[in-house]
Amino acid sequence: MISCINLQKNYRVGHSQKRVLKGINFTIAPGDRIGLLGRNGAGKSTLIKLIGGVEVPTAGKVRREMSCSWPLGFHGGFQGSLTGYDNARFIARIYGRDYDSMREFVEDFTELGRQLRMPVKTYSSGMRARLAFALSLAIEFDCYLIDEVIMVGDKNFQDKCHAELFEKRKDRAILLASHSPDSIREFCNRAAVLQDGHMHEYADVDEGLTIYERL
Amino acid sequence: MEKALKAWKVQRRVIVALMIRELTTRFGRENIGFLWVMAEPLLFASLVGLLYSFMIGDQEHGVGVIAFIASGYIPLTVMRNSFGRCVNIFVANSALLYHRQVLVLDFVIVRFMIEMIGGMMAFLLIGTILALFGLFPIPAHVGDLLAGWCLYMLFVFSVCLVIAPASELSEALEKLLPVTVYVAIPLSGTFNMVSWLTPAARDVVLWSPFVNGMELMRYGLFGDAVRPYFNIWVPLGASAGVAAVGLALCRRVRRIMVVE
Repeated sequence: MISCINLQKNYRVGHSQKRVLKGINFTIAPGDRIGLLGRNGAGKSTLIKLIGGVEVPTAGKVRREMSCSWPLGFHGGFQGSLTGYDNARFIARIYGRDYDSMREFVEDFTELGRQLRMPVKTYSSGMRARLAFALSLAIEFDCYLIDEVIMVGDKNFQDKCHAELFEKRKDRAILLASHSPDSIREFCNRAAVLQDGHMHEYADVDEGLTIYERL
Repeated sequence: MEKALKAWKVQRRVIVALMIRELTTRFGRENIGFLWVMAEPLLFASLVGLLYSFMIGDQEHGVGVIAFIASGYIPLTVMRNSFGRCVNIFVANSALLYHRQVLVLDFVIVRFMIEMIGGMMAFLLIGTILALFGLFPIPAHVGDLLAGWCLYMLFVFSVCLVIAPASELSEALEKLLPVTVYVAIPLSGTFNMVSWLTPAARDVVLWSPFVNGMELMRYGLFGDAVRPYFNIWVPLGASAGVAAVGLALCRRVRRIMVVE
């Protein structure tokens, strides 16, 4: 279980404060698959970063009672100047995993071949997505935080994600921020819409999507 | 207790991983690799030492000039490089903060450790080479030498804990830092012993934590050939105070930090 308790986040803009999240109360239970919707700038990435512990809330608290991945997205988690292999080695070290089995899984899942010997900054966004997923799936978390990145993959990648996340890891929770109704419908069984710093939850994905499309 | 032990294990893992990462990005895997870390202190200490020995002769106040300068210059380069390397490290490394177990404090520890280990290796190497030519003494009191080094480095690390977060809060710091370090060289004890100064000047420089560490280091190295003045409580007290401020600043900056 991951609980957000009255979560608030302000960012400083010049001399004033911009309130992005104004008190979010929200829980992710094991096995929950939540689609996070909202317009650009509604605070989806901010919420994911707070849940992942990348940024610190201005007020409120995140309680993590299950293991939770770092936010999988286009930024962060990697060192651009290092190769794919070096990044894998670094992540294996800080999470205390065995590098050899990690490398095997990454090679197999990403199908990047010799590209893994190139610096990550030369990767396309689809290649980054493959690497990010491979690394976090190799570590095995109870909850995966996914920020947009799933949509950039090609058909083959989407199929692999589906197989790994939905068949082999049915019991895991995911929080998926996305603008794509198709992926939300495909991957999620609940929806949450962020608007004006508040969150509205919908037990029915289609209901949430309808609200989101009217925003 | 068990929790603290686990946290300590995680931090140890993170620090080792960050150190390996830092060394590969900074020095690469080609040629001598991470041994470059001691190249700068080594060259500086030996060339400046040589220069001084031409300017003032082999001996000054009864100790070898090259050995004296080398023993002062290596800690000075460690200090200068550590300070410089701590500027803006939080934002530069922010991609790694995506992993919750990585703390901003780890960045400071890693940069400082690399500089300090490089300095120790340089010290050992230069001492061994010079000793073969009879230009460097066998340390008279190894314990005092190490204790002096530790006191000096403890204060360097404490100041790093302030510089790293302060540089995120103010851009002026980055510009002012090099000149401040340069002006502070007389207070680092690099080029003279306290006993060579006038009593009035002694009272001033003995407030510097660096001078106290350096005096102890030099006593450990040259033994009774020099007359040291030091009070270990000056560097210990100053380090505790400065580190407390630094840790508070780190915490504050982490709270408001925007991670891309």
